[in-house]
Amino acid sequence: MERAGRCASLLLLLALAACSREERDFRTTAAQTAPHGPADPRIPFYQGNLYQVSQGGRYFSWYGCGGCHGEKAQGVLKLSDDAWKHGGAFDQVYRSIAAHAEGPRIPPEQLWQITAYVRDMHTHTPAKLRRQDLDEKGEPTGDSWSGPVR
Amino acid sequence: MRRVLALAALLLLGGCAGWQTPLDPAGEQARHIYSFLELILWVCGFFYLLVLAFLGWGLWRARRRSAEGPEIAPADRGLDRALIVWSALIVVGLTVLTLGAFFVDRALANAQARETLTVRVTGQQWWWRIRYRDPATGRWIETANELHLPLGKTTRIELGSADVIHSLWIPNLAGKTDVIPGHPNAFDVTPRAPGWYRGQCAEFCGAQHAHMALWVKVEPPAAFARWLAGQARSAASPADPEQARGMKLVTQGPCAACHTLRGTPADGRPGPDLTHLASRRSLAAGTLPMTRGALQGWIARPQAVKPGTLMPAVSLSPTDLDAVAAYLAALQ
Amino acid sequence: MSPPAPFPDASRSQRLAAAWADPPGLWGFLTTVDHKRIAARYIVTTLLLLFLAGMVALDMRLQLIQPDMKRMGPQMYDEAFSLHGSTMLFLVSVPVMEAMALWLVPLMLGQRNVAFPRLAAFSYWLYLGGVLMLWVPHALGITPDIGWFEYPPLSGPAYGPGHRADIWAQMITFTEVAALAASVNIVATILKLRPPGMTLARMPLFVWAQLIASIMTILAMPAIMLVTSMLIADRMISTHFFSPSGGGDVLLFQHLFWFFGHPEVYIIFLPATGFVSAIVATFARRPVFGQVPMVLSMLAVGLFGFGLWVHHMYAVGLPRLGNDFYTAASMAIALPVGIQIFCWTATIWSGRPRFQTPMLWVIGFILTFVIGGLSGVMTGAAPLDLQLTDTYFVVAHLHYVLIGGAIFPLLGAFCYWYPKATGRMMSERWGVVAFVLIVGGFNLGFFPMHILGLEGMPRRIYTYGPEMGWGTLNLIATLGSAMAVAGGLVMVANGLLSLRFGERAGADPWDAPTLEWACESPPPCYNFEYTPVVEDLVPLWREGDLPVMDGMSLDSRELLVTSAVEGIPEYRQNSVGPSIWPLVAALAVAAMFIGSIFTAWAVVIGAVPIGIALTIWFWPTRQPATSGPFASRGR
Repeated sequence: MERAGRCASLLLLLALAACSREERDFRTTAAQTAPHGPADPRIPFYQGNLYQVSQGGRYFSWYGCGGCHGEKAQGVLKLSDDAWKHGGAFDQVYRSIAAHAEGPRIPPEQLWQITAYVRDMHTHTPAKLRRQDLDEKGEPTGDSWSGPVR
Repeated sequence: MRRVLALAALLLLGGCAGWQTPLDPAGEQARHIYSFLELILWVCGFFYLLVLAFLGWGLWRARRRSAEGPEIAPADRGLDRALIVWSALIVVGLTVLTLGAFFVDRALANAQARETLTVRVTGQQWWWRIRYRDPATGRWIETANELHLPLGKTTRIELGSADVIHSLWIPNLAGKTDVIPGHPNAFDVTPRAPGWYRGQCAEFCGAQHAHMALWVKVEPPAAFARWLAGQARSAASPADPEQARGMKLVTQGPCAACHTLRGTPADGRPGPDLTHLASRRSLAAGTLPMTRGALQGWIARPQAVKPGTLMPAVSLSPTDLDAVAAYLAALQ
Repeated sequence: MSPPAPFPDASRSQRLAAAWADPPGLWGFLTTVDHKRIAARYIVTTLLLLFLAGMVALDMRLQLIQPDMKRMGPQMYDEAFSLHGSTMLFLVSVPVMEAMALWLVPLMLGQRNVAFPRLAAFSYWLYLGGVLMLWVPHALGITPDIGWFEYPPLSGPAYGPGHRADIWAQMITFTEVAALAASVNIVATILKLRPPGMTLARMPLFVWAQLIASIMTILAMPAIMLVTSMLIADRMISTHFFSPSGGGDVLLFQHLFWFFGHPEVYIIFLPATGFVSAIVATFARRPVFGQVPMVLSMLAVGLFGFGLWVHHMYAVGLPRLGNDFYTAASMAIALPVGIQIFCWTATIWSGRPRFQTPMLWVIGFILTFVIGGLSGVMTGAAPLDLQLTDTYFVVAHLHYVLIGGAIFPLLGAFCYWYPKATGRMMSERWGVVAFVLIVGGFNLGFFPMHILGLEGMPRRIYTYGPEMGWGTLNLIATLGSAMAVAGGLVMVANGLLSLRFGERAGADPWDAPTLEWACESPPPCYNFEYTPVVEDLVPLWREGDLPVMDGMSLDSRELLVTSAVEGIPEYRQNSVGPSIWPLVAALAVAAMFIGSIFTAWAVVIGAVPIGIALTIWFWPTRQPATSGPFASRGR
């Protein structure tokens, strides 16, 4: 009976943990400053949340990142491998994006979301990344837009 | 009787806001549909009254029938004939309606032969990107969330989607047409009455589907041409130092990554074109009126106005915010 | 007409009860294959969900009661309408009709069980899996939130992150397999397990309705299973079914979805017409007028129902002539439905109607459903639909036909068969109160929505501005809906209290014509002591005793199989007893369906326990037949 109780609690905890990944929270006061370090408590809100990661994916395309870091990127430009030139911790990736040429134009919250997305990319197969890109073909990228999906 | 009174009361209470309703047609296409609506209401009303009458008569007769045992094999000859008459009536009614629908559809299709102006409307989450061809240069002029149409001329609206399925519905002018990625749709409008009309997205497209409206102004061709020429011009220069500071913040800061202001370095495409922002009637796809205060509130806290919106919250100091709003509010 | 003498016979009934009883306690609950018990738990579950989804709807109505309400943000509202629509359409409307068939069809056919008893149990467990698949995630805060229809690309991998859309899609798979299982059972029972002498011409209209609805289910359900599986495939293994830039087509989803979705509403409506026919015959004290036109009309609805689905897609930009064809087809279905309305009204007109609660519900149905049918004719016309679709006019229409056309007859059916199921009568007075509150509240709540749609209010919006002028009608709509909910609560209270305090009912308190009223109330586990023989449409209204046959085994479970058209006895079939394997198989299937949200390998790995469970389930344990068409030869 006790074992059953413990199993049930474990399952419940797993379920609850899984659920925070699925939360959709349109907060009006989101992260407005850079992460303090690799253990900043705000990190799970972005990295552990599928909605925030997918928003990051959208902004990744809107800020024109796909131009150099897209499907056909190779070597150091390829972000979907697990190799990090400037370190792979959340704050390190955040700083490397903020220091990028486009960095100053990206507001803090979007930097958080894009960081979460970039660090998530390597968990998906190339087919999956390409499939998401296909649906987003009609979206604008940076200063260019090829028109709606025809 | 109670039903009729109730219906009348409901219609009165409704208080039709006449600028977003198919009941106040201001265009050819909406008029065709409205006349069909009148026909079908009469036909349907007639059949409902027949059903009510038959049922009512049956219930009335019941009062005077005895309560003996059940009748196992009743003689039904009169009812057999009545069934045939009823079926024939239904067939006639449905044929009238089907033919009426066919002719209305044909009238809607015929308008396509005479279109004189083409506008491209792209649905995005959660706003409308609108592009006209500049008659002088042939380039595309872009604006957002506001459509201007010349009175009396047929305009073809070409639809496209940048992301998911939307639907453009301007009920006073025409029926809705879905905006589907991979399926370029188009429909014609021939406005007959000048004024402002409101349209709204009519296909669930995500969190802010409720706030994806657009305003349509129908104006005489000369006024329309003047408007279009005005839209073709570059952004107005700042008139005072505060506006100049605002312009610097907008064109060199985060705004420029997503917004275009023609004639300035800002050339971002993801968000609406802001070149003539203040000339529009509303802000944020029909959600807020175009006032300085609303503009400031929208820029400061977009999530408070449209939770889930993709417009980033840019943190500006109060003086910076004032400058930006002053500049944008002057972009006629 | 009286049941056969001697009735009941103690020693007969004891032997039959011993053969047909379930094991006691929890084990009996889990292993039962008694169609009445399975149907009862089905109905209780659907009524609970009707209440829950109704509360969700009331929540939405409170959000819309006035402009710019801030109670619910867009995320909560989107979850609410997705949950409400998905629950009502997949987890309440279709299953409750199947459950009523499961309970009533063997009783109306004088049989002791359905053709495939274990399949009936399996169907319930899978349905329960579907319920949990949607509502447990809701309790955990991950409710699907893109509608009950989830069109791509909004539900695709780019715009629908996470697993919410997959949860919805798999809930559908659960309920569709359950529906297929139930429908196959009902078709086989109706075609092969009728009483001697019940030719197709002497089959009650209710049974006809369930037969046609079940065949429609079998033909329509595969489309929705296919399309939701394609959606999961797009999301999980990156296929391109619905990706325009990848060579796919977004409209393919809509076509396949609505190819199922439109027949589904007739799958819900036809059994309701069966309820109405049964009630009208009993309370107008004559067989329903126009037996042949009624059957032909139901067949026509079943057939035409498959040719109308494009009327849900008039605005997508298909060729105009195509739209006009579907306009004509959508209009045409008003003819068989109109004929049915005439026949019922003619029955009342020419009969000697008694106005107890079931009859009141029939009248409420006629008054309400015809409005829905006529607004359906309006939305069925393509050019007009371009103004009406995706507005509150359609919300009004769909509720008028689903509530007026299906729920009102269902409530009437509950009042009508309550004495048979429980042995007690419901309170007439409180039944009338509930009727007035529900019918009045519903019309007050939903009629204004026709006007709101014509005033430009689109669907699926979580709020609207005060300048739109929609506030007053929305307020009235909310008040009416609340009134209807209050009426529902009165009805539930009536049902529960009458279990204890209701007047005792005999076998046939309404003096009804069909066979289910020939057994005790509530029916014993074996239903009938003898096998009734049928000589016409209204067996219990004939003078004298009900003719019966004897010869079925009293000590083992046996069903009498008859020919499909003429109802001539063919052979006796051994019927299965209680078994745990339907539950085990359902658990294995559930594990596979749930796992396949997370990984495609679940389909392969999950097939193993399913295979084992099904093998044990179907392992032959009965003796080979020694008589009849399947007798083994050369022995």
